[in-house]
Amino acid sequence: MLIDLGWFSFDLFQITYEGVVFALGGTAILAALGVVLCSSPIYCALYLIGHMICLALLFLMYGAEFIAAVQIIVYAGAVMILFLFIIALLGGKKETQDFDFHKFMAFSFIGTVLAELALSIRVGPTKPITGVFDEKMIADVGSAKAIGLELFSKHLIPFELASVLLLVAGVGIVCLAKFTYKPPQRKSS
Amino acid sequence: MDQEFILLVSASVFCIGAFGFMVRKNPLVMFMSVELMLNSVNFLLIGYSSSLKSLDGQIFALMIMAVAAAEVVVGLAIILTIFRTRHDLNVDHLDSLKG
Repeated sequence: MLIDLGWFSFDLFQITYEGVVFALGGTAILAALGVVLCSSPIYCALYLIGHMICLALLFLMYGAEFIAAVQIIVYAGAVMILFLFIIALLGGKKETQDFDFHKFMAFSFIGTVLAELALSIRVGPTKPITGVFDEKMIADVGSAKAIGLELFSKHLIPFELASVLLLVAGVGIVCLAKFTYKPPQRKSS
Repeated sequence: MDQEFILLVSASVFCIGAFGFMVRKNPLVMFMSVELMLNSVNFLLIGYSSSLKSLDGQIFALMIMAVAAAEVVVGLAIILTIFRTRHDLNVDHLDSLKG
């Protein structure tokens, strides 16, 4: 919808889209700060759920509906509920936050890394590739179907390897949780 | 403009996650920081796959999600086992292997 004011014309849909994307990105960064700076683990988990939901909405804005649904179901659903159960089981104690030399070192290191990453923004597109999946084609096929076609034709072996990885993880935690650990007895000699 | 926004947000969230991993002492919160880092990479992949009109980024994000789910489950089981044997949740106290 193009709005023309004579001296200034803008696309209302485009400007709303960009505003929503900026607001979601800012909220995601603030929620990430909340995860790191909050002292009680249960509030950290709740901030992390907010961060995941913001990212899922951003995925929706970028036209990846299937990944957004997977993000909500797997991350904000399964993984975070697992985290909350473990926190409730172990009892989340508050952590004292004091500023010492160790934290100052970590802060300066991370500041350097962030500055270097921000420099990479100025490089610009190095080798622009263009795929075939523009918005019209994805709308024709459907997002989930397009991903399924790609996944089961070009990326079949990584998909099967991921399923093997999940199976190995399941067997591993059964072994970890079922057999209780006995500390080894020192032989007195 | 769009690509710069994606790079900036994902770099910021990645650095916040790395900072949290180095600073926090609770292993659960350290795992949450690792989740933050993985999620920032997911966001970068999805944003670039939309602006480059290719679906490979979304497939790779799916793989990262599978690896992250496996990693979280195994890590939480290890934390639970450590808590059952030591009754302590501070990673600074886990220094039995220190020479």
